[in-house]
Amino acid sequence: MAKPKIAFFEFTSCEGCQLTVVDSLQDHPELLDAVEIVQFREAMSEKGEDYQIAFIEGSCSRPGDEAKLNEIREKADLVIALGACAHLGGVNAIRNRMPLEDVRKYVYGDKAEWYATYPARPISAVIPIDAVIPGCPIDRNEFIRAVTYLLQGRLPYIPDNPVCIECKLKGNVCVYHRGMTCLGPITLAGCDAICPTYGEGCDGCRGLISAPNIPALRTVLAEHGMNETDIEAKMTVFLTYQRMELEAADHDS
Amino acid sequence: MGFKIMPKSALADWVNRLRADYRVVGPQPRHGQYVFAEINDPADLALDYPTSVLPPKQYLLPPREVLFNFQNSGMRIEANIKVEPTVILGVHTCDMHAIRLLDHVHNNGYADQHYQTHRANTYLVSIECLKPCMEHSFCKSMGTLTVPEEFDLHLTDLGTAYTVDIGSEKGEKLLEGFDQVWDASDDDYQLLSRVLTEKWPRFSYRLDFDVTELPDILNLSQKSSYWNELGDRCLACGMCTKVCPTCYCFDVSDTVDLTLKNGKRIRTWDSCQVEEFALVAGGHNFRSKRALRQRHRFLRKGKYQYEAFGMVGCVGCGRCAQACLVHITPVETFNELYRRSQRTEPAEVKA
Repeated sequence: MAKPKIAFFEFTSCEGCQLTVVDSLQDHPELLDAVEIVQFREAMSEKGEDYQIAFIEGSCSRPGDEAKLNEIREKADLVIALGACAHLGGVNAIRNRMPLEDVRKYVYGDKAEWYATYPARPISAVIPIDAVIPGCPIDRNEFIRAVTYLLQGRLPYIPDNPVCIECKLKGNVCVYHRGMTCLGPITLAGCDAICPTYGEGCDGCRGLISAPNIPALRTVLAEHGMNETDIEAKMTVFLTYQRMELEAADHDS
Repeated sequence: MGFKIMPKSALADWVNRLRADYRVVGPQPRHGQYVFAEINDPADLALDYPTSVLPPKQYLLPPREVLFNFQNSGMRIEANIKVEPTVILGVHTCDMHAIRLLDHVHNNGYADQHYQTHRANTYLVSIECLKPCMEHSFCKSMGTLTVPEEFDLHLTDLGTAYTVDIGSEKGEKLLEGFDQVWDASDDDYQLLSRVLTEKWPRFSYRLDFDVTELPDILNLSQKSSYWNELGDRCLACGMCTKVCPTCYCFDVSDTVDLTLKNGKRIRTWDSCQVEEFALVAGGHNFRSKRALRQRHRFLRKGKYQYEAFGMVGCVGCGRCAQACLVHITPVETFNELYRRSQRTEPAEVKA
């Protein structure tokens, strides 16, 4: 069987997810025997344009991104969103609730009008995608697992479980019982509950489970001492785009 | 066979002795709560712990377990059944009742070899509960405040010493050659009798009805609007099932390495509270609402398992109530359903 040719691309992001891919080679150097990487700016200078699988990091935040995304979609058999920015719009989407002009001035100062920008969106809002590898950054074990799925001709699959499931599989003391707060009950698992395991509450970087009970979690957060502003801020870091979509759907119904 | 006495000052020596031949696990403090973990220093052992985050079932049915390894070439399969003689120290009586139920489930029908192997290599040292361990426990109502016969050794705290009841040959083996235990004297028996008598008033009945009524109450409550109220509050985080000593549902998945030649089949604790649990081929989900999933959970504990095994599936440990961030508790749920079942609804008047 010929090795599948894969390529990596980035849009608005920190490229930390691609760094995690490089990092995964420490544990899994055999990845290089299993696939042929033809384009990967983070790790090589060559730029092949013949690829079957495209991993895309980053959100779409400029009108000019769309043509490139469409081009990748046309060339690749499979497009995989790599990490929270491509999957959710990422932290870039925090600005989506703010007046764009103000944001642009805040970031670029008197050069504001030099930069074209619009609300940050996940790449699935621009092109159809085949799968997602969530997280900020991605989990390297999950990335390797996803590649084994692809090599078997299957799409990567992530069980629709909240982080609490994996947290309790590890026997962790709930961070709420340690005086902290956590978005674990509404956030998609797959990270092996890495943040709560190390004593930090979840910030939701992997996005929402399919049917999150957000109102109930807001009550929990309030009971644990958070005011409305703090609750809103906590749910804004990674979940802005998904929540705005949910709010719009609620409004429509 | 009579009771033995082991002074508390001998506990550390005994544990160290056991550690030479067994993996020894027991309750230890962690971040303000207690967890069962391997005892590397007997000073870490907290036999007077209130309750633990996960019940000791984690040693009989590990949260994640490789069932077998396989190689695609030649379809070779190698069972992965790890034998690790383990002593579990300080098992509360509610958890002993739970293990009794787990034994029944895994030894009957399709007997579970992995469970059976872990179980055969597990030595259960239970401990008498002398006061309620926390606000959510209701063992007295569930009839789990005395130890069932499954123990190998059973300890009771007499202040400066433990009485040791030997329940099996396995238990005897744990004491073999240890010279800091001796036969209980008449005075010890009297003290034990007093300790056991005095403990009962410290526990209160928390259910407003007798537990034998529970299956019927739940049966009559299947259409109760209370399930919707729970469904509105429930986060579907699944913690209640993860910390439950009698939950044993699991999911099975295969993983392969990057060569696609070698793989393993893994089973992982599952939860009836998560969205995908009852999702079947074709996309139908027969418990797609949180209310239905909560109802299923409580009916399973209080009705289905009783009907199937003659044992109520809830042992009153209170862990699910402690874990639940939205305060769904079995005591409140069972009592509320009981109250509503007692109400006489006005008969509908037909127009």
